[in-house]
Amino acid sequence: MKLINLRFVCASLLFCSGLVVGDGDLETNIDHIEYETLAEGLDHPWSMTFISDNEMLLTELSGNLRRVSNGVLNPTPITGVPEVLFAGQGGLSEVLADPDFANNGLLYLSFSASDAEQPKLNRLNVIQARLEGNALVDHKTIFQSDPPRKTAAHYGARLGFLPDGTLLITSGDGFNYREKAQVLDNHFGKILRLNTDGTIPADNPFVSNSKGALPEIWSYGHRNLQGLAIADDGTVFEHEHGPQGGDELNLIAPGKNYGWPAITYGVDYSGAMISPFTEQPGMEQPLKYWVPSIAPSSMMFYRGDMFPAWKGSLFMSALVPGDVRRLELQDNKVINEEILFTEFGRIRNIIAAPDGSLLLVTDGDNGKLIRVSRNRKEL
Amino acid sequence: MIKQIQAFLISLAIATFLLVTHTTATNLIWLSSINMPVDFGVVVSTMATDLVGMNSRGAFPAIGLIFVGLLIAFIAARIISIWSSLNKAYLYALAGGAALLAIVVLMPLAFYHLDLIAGARTLGGKVYLALAGMIAGYYFGGHPKKGGFQ
Repeated sequence: MKLINLRFVCASLLFCSGLVVGDGDLETNIDHIEYETLAEGLDHPWSMTFISDNEMLLTELSGNLRRVSNGVLNPTPITGVPEVLFAGQGGLSEVLADPDFANNGLLYLSFSASDAEQPKLNRLNVIQARLEGNALVDHKTIFQSDPPRKTAAHYGARLGFLPDGTLLITSGDGFNYREKAQVLDNHFGKILRLNTDGTIPADNPFVSNSKGALPEIWSYGHRNLQGLAIADDGTVFEHEHGPQGGDELNLIAPGKNYGWPAITYGVDYSGAMISPFTEQPGMEQPLKYWVPSIAPSSMMFYRGDMFPAWKGSLFMSALVPGDVRRLELQDNKVINEEILFTEFGRIRNIIAAPDGSLLLVTDGDNGKLIRVSRNRKEL
Repeated sequence: MIKQIQAFLISLAIATFLLVTHTTATNLIWLSSINMPVDFGVVVSTMATDLVGMNSRGAFPAIGLIFVGLLIAFIAARIISIWSSLNKAYLYALAGGAALLAIVVLMPLAFYHLDLIAGARTLGGKVYLALAGMIAGYYFGGHPKKGGFQ
């Protein structure tokens, strides 16, 4: 869909004076952007990852792993995906390609599944598997959250690779178990760091802790962490849903406590104060927080060339009211926020393609895959 | 009739007050247990904020939820009282307890086991809230003197 309207005239005038995409301090001129719907009818799409310059994989929360080749959705889902618990916010969540995918074909999937011994309870799982043709093979479970939970909410379930090749896993607070985010003997409300074979890196912050802290914990005091972006220098940014208000963007450092639910800028869904405190020594403050909530759903750094003005920006998709936030950072501080792509409703995930275009998926049982690229007339 | 409405509103206020302050206490006791600076001023201000917040800014007003629960329960108790010889104060106390217990037990079933009332997440919390409903029902059953709906 091309956006051609009266603003184009104004945009052209601005373009002549150099005030267009390309000038970093200015807001994006949306008349230079075009949108293309690549697929519709997706069943709660959740995550995307590129496996080559023209091929990507996409998860549907209902349990399907789909392949998109040259912008065309393969109607046949990839086989060999484990059985998932598709309920509430649970299901097949993240898919992430190994940094060396071209050589080893490895993928990492996060999903909720019923507990083998207590089927009324469930856990967040992360597996490693190899993509062979249109099938996943050689499955290996590398993480299961503990203890299991009764609720089907707040899984986190986002994955990301640090420059040293270790894997970060976000594990949400399970909604009913929020106080456990402050305790280090469990996986609720934590970021975890593992080697890709599931072993624990020796330099994790709580490896040598003698007070019962789990050695895989990287940071704690989180709520529902659905965004993870890692800068080229290894700086880790994370965002999490607040309750009513209090969505946060955090800069993550190993071993730190991010405060939930002892400090928060949000209130409970019942209207009660979860905590009257917003700061406390020993607990980290967010880089930015949102009141009211925007329900941030994914995050990435833009490193492409198609939109030079966006290079280095942090992009966050948001479910409420439904848009994308472009955040400009300077010295790891947010200096500007721009709201983009407000016309699509709830946006569940955003990633950048190798050619620099952006790909969005909208939330729900009729999800759309949308490509955002520079207007060809401008190229 | 006016006295019955008055008694109902007071019993509604009792149940709402007990539910809200229980949630406040649950949160503050935990905060205190991890050495957050919970002092008397924090207790009072949080309680006041919750009394307003839980009845105005939440996804559902606590007082509205309890109003519906108690109304249904008290009407049911009135019908049962036609055949029952049980003391009306006790009958309405049971009805009030059942109303709040139903609220805290049934709500999670509609929301994937999510306990939206934080104070009701534990069995102890559920029992306390049922007792709060019983106190509200007992008051209603005993006021006016003949008790409950006549």
